[in-house]
Amino acid sequence: MSIFEYNGSAVVAMVGKNCFAIASDRRLGVQLQTIATDFKRISKIHDHLFIGLSGLATDVQTLYQRLVFRHKLYQLREERDMKPETFASLVSAILYEKRFGPYLCQPVIAGLGDDNKPFICTMDSIGAKELAKDFVVSGTASESLYGACEAMFKPDMEAEELFETISQALLSSVDRDCLSGWGGHVYVVTPNEIKERILKGRMD
Amino acid sequence: MKLDTSGFETTMPMIGFGSNNDMLDGFCSVPSFDLPRTTDFDGFQKEAVQMVKPAKGTTTLAFIFKEGVMVAADSRASMGGYISSQSVKKIIEINPYMLGTMAGGAADCQFWHRNLGIKCRLHQLANKRRISVSGASKLLANMLYSYRGMGLSVGTMIAGWDETGPGLYYVDNEGGRLKGDRFSVGSGSPYAYGVLDSGYKFDMSVEEALELARRSIYHATFRDGASGGVASVYHVGPNGWKKLSGDDVGELHYHYYPVAPATAEHVMEEAAE
Repeated sequence: MSIFEYNGSAVVAMVGKNCFAIASDRRLGVQLQTIATDFKRISKIHDHLFIGLSGLATDVQTLYQRLVFRHKLYQLREERDMKPETFASLVSAILYEKRFGPYLCQPVIAGLGDDNKPFICTMDSIGAKELAKDFVVSGTASESLYGACEAMFKPDMEAEELFETISQALLSSVDRDCLSGWGGHVYVVTPNEIKERILKGRMD
Repeated sequence: MKLDTSGFETTMPMIGFGSNNDMLDGFCSVPSFDLPRTTDFDGFQKEAVQMVKPAKGTTTLAFIFKEGVMVAADSRASMGGYISSQSVKKIIEINPYMLGTMAGGAADCQFWHRNLGIKCRLHQLANKRRISVSGASKLLANMLYSYRGMGLSVGTMIAGWDETGPGLYYVDNEGGRLKGDRFSVGSGSPYAYGVLDSGYKFDMSVEEALELARRSIYHATFRDGASGGVASVYHVGPNGWKKLSGDDVGELHYHYYPVAPATAEHVMEEAAE
């Protein structure tokens, strides 16, 4: 098993009508052994910007701490929140700085930009940005997630329907992966509120 | 090129049967297989072993108690990280009073258990009485020993009830054979042992033993990524085996640990983060 499959993870983000949803599994494992079932993979940068990190758990936590630090500095200097596109460029630059000794994680960035237009993108571990209009996935269950999202996604879904769709896609994909699952964590973000929900999944 | 198996002939008594009896052809001796034609035999063997290797991802267990033998297993088949099936039958019915468990290569376990079933039936016909669990496990162990080092992957337990009472043996592809009261085989076995060893008493009723076996498999599926699906439990008594339960472990989790609704204080804590 490769180093990206050491801890196991699944992250997915989807675009809806003036809203977005980002979801992850909750397992932290050491190869086949499950250590924790409440590991936080998705973190808030500001009210309209979330980042989900899959891959090696230690790099997930460290990278998140570095990004929060950079964003707080930006807030102090510019006296406003970062736009999602700018943040994506920042993450890409930070990852490429470590080109020959990379952070072993793949971020998924989701945010609401100007005019509340949803923005999602994913990156590989050295910062290659991949923008998408519908959904992005990452983690050990990514192949199953691609299939599930492709089948279930519809454009311009409202917040409730988007929540149902992303939850079903996540749960059915992690049920085909030994290394991720054990519950789910979904954030649905609209211009006015953030709804955080925990999913009841198969615990095997 | 055929492997010379003349050194491995079993000394099973075959009185009354002519040597040109078609029915017994191939079953008096260890089955022989053609070898592959390749320039690099050792390298090919090593690759073949690696191909089969990932598959000991499973949890099976068996234990002897006052009322017989309890045998339990999960039902997940995994290839590396991918779950290829959640509904594999890992408890193999060799004959109406003997069970075998499957851990390792599925094809290997299924073939050799069926082969063992055939040999047991032939023994019964030749000797007018059922083969003992000790005898059956010895037959299997000897067959596997003759294929030692050739990449078979079999980690099985033979459980049954014979004239001496309940019997349980562990047999593996190295040719090892162990008699015991409690065994668990597979990647989830450490977790199953934890629950099984702490809850085991010889004087259990069938219901208590069923619950212990089911709980042990459930805990192994929770902690081990390569185990999951359905926890099946069989009981072997003086009249043969009977399947007692087959519960989906996804539902078992919420049966043992129901979801408690979050209280108001919890909600306050998260907002203050």
